[in-house]
Amino acid sequence: MKKKLRDFIFQELVFIADPAQFSDDDDLLEAGLDSMGIMRLIMFIENEYGVTLPDTEIEPDNVQSFNALEQWILRHQNG
Amino acid sequence: MSLLSAFNRQCQGAPDNIAFVEGDRQLNYQQLIQQACQLSACLTNTKNPYRRVVIALDRGIDAAIAILAVLGAGACYIPLDIKNPANRLNYIINDAAPQCIIGKGHRPDWLETSALWLDIDQTAFVQSSTSWPAEVDAEALAAILYTSGSTGAPKGVALSHRALSNFAGWAACNFKISPCDRIASLAPFHFDLSIFDLFSSLSCGASVHFVPSGLTMSPSRLTAWLSEYCISVFYTVPSLLSFIALKGSLSTTPLPDLKTVLFAGEVFPTPQLKKLCALLPAVDFYNLYGPTETNVCCYWPVDRDRLQTDRPIPIGYPACGAVLKIDAEMGELQVQSANNLSGYWQQGELIAALSTDNYYHTGDKVSLNERGEYCYHGRLDRMLKCSGYRVEPAEIEAVLLQCPEVTGCAVIGITDSSSGQRPAAAVVLKPGAKLEAIVRPIKQKLPTYMQPCKFIVLDSLPYLSNGKTDYQTLHQQLEKN
Repeated sequence: MKKKLRDFIFQELVFIADPAQFSDDDDLLEAGLDSMGIMRLIMFIENEYGVTLPDTEIEPDNVQSFNALEQWILRHQNG
Repeated sequence: MSLLSAFNRQCQGAPDNIAFVEGDRQLNYQQLIQQACQLSACLTNTKNPYRRVVIALDRGIDAAIAILAVLGAGACYIPLDIKNPANRLNYIINDAAPQCIIGKGHRPDWLETSALWLDIDQTAFVQSSTSWPAEVDAEALAAILYTSGSTGAPKGVALSHRALSNFAGWAACNFKISPCDRIASLAPFHFDLSIFDLFSSLSCGASVHFVPSGLTMSPSRLTAWLSEYCISVFYTVPSLLSFIALKGSLSTTPLPDLKTVLFAGEVFPTPQLKKLCALLPAVDFYNLYGPTETNVCCYWPVDRDRLQTDRPIPIGYPACGAVLKIDAEMGELQVQSANNLSGYWQQGELIAALSTDNYYHTGDKVSLNERGEYCYHGRLDRMLKCSGYRVEPAEIEAVLLQCPEVTGCAVIGITDSSSGQRPAAAVVLKPGAKLEAIVRPIKQKLPTYMQPCKFIVLDSLPYLSNGKTDYQTLHQQLEKN
């Protein structure tokens, strides 16, 4: 899952010099993920993983890093 | 009525009305004019009157007080986006050639100018009269708003008191702003949407509520905030409204106080607008159109019955008393309006920007439909609109070409169905050079919304037989990757 998220974010939303150096805990918001990027990311996740992410959970905390994103998605896939 | 006299009348007539609210801080009209006068006195108690003052403050009450103080002192304000990289801020400051910069705290290290730095927190004890200045000449400059420039550097759009007050008055009247209105302000002050938030509101005795900035990342908290503060009027960009329509919890947060939503800055995709209209059935929506140079020159009251998913909405009818004409050959929209800029500010001088018959040539392609409404068909040049921000590819290219590793480059916009355009770059590198090497300088020199979201490295740029860059091929290459 993280590989797909990494590919989408680094190809479509945030450009960074060396994605391999970007850890799963590094801060995506600091790297340049903005509100419009978050909107596109959410649409991508909902299509790709067949989940519905509740409106009230769209918070910086849940999109801050790849680890946070994965945990958020998994919570809804299992739920 | 002039920009300042309408505000002044509200201060005298309804001094206890709330003017500004930001978090826990609020000011009524009486307190606002007192604080603005106090700061204004600091600007006028000098041997040589200040003519241009840079505002280096975040969007909010302090910056708004500073703007009023500058205008009250008969000077012109230049609002900065203080999150911009230092090199861009220094470029703008040097170009504007201000006598003074109003900021908060100590003079920052990055500042290269010798202009006076005024800490807004250190001005509170200056003695001043509370009389607001007499009339300012309508043609005097009131603001210089810097936007992205097609020559590769930021460009200052110089606006007179006449231009600002013509727009503010039109909007106040057309959207029936009253002292009961509670207006949400989200646009940064270097963005022309803020002219409505500040001046249309204050001229009517309404209250301005500054939206906490973090809320744009969480649409349901933004709608909860709009609901809690009983916001009645909101002027913002379509991409944010799309996010609200998609994930703003509007079905459980109905926003009963919201009457009017104005949007501008980019095309609102009709499917998202339709969705938003369905979620907010009692709200009047307006599509406002116009570059910073003319402010709003065309507007369309959204007719819900005519929203068809596959058809873009019109930009509508002339606004603010503008006279519009369409160039027969290119289909370019040309605008004659009291809103029009006085000129471009360049290296301390005003450069003419209008044709001899006072029209501004927008570079936008338009047509008239069968109902007599203007319809927008994109740019005649390469300008992009990214989340409502105007972005000139040439400005990004100029920064790319400053990198010693880059021998050639071209920037285009990739269009996205939900969030407008985003810049993408094709670069040609020196032998042995790596793309990684240019990313850091780019991130340091360009504001976030101007940073390309995608890069490709090419051996050479594609050219047409006439020697011009082949943007169509570039589009295919960048969208394929």
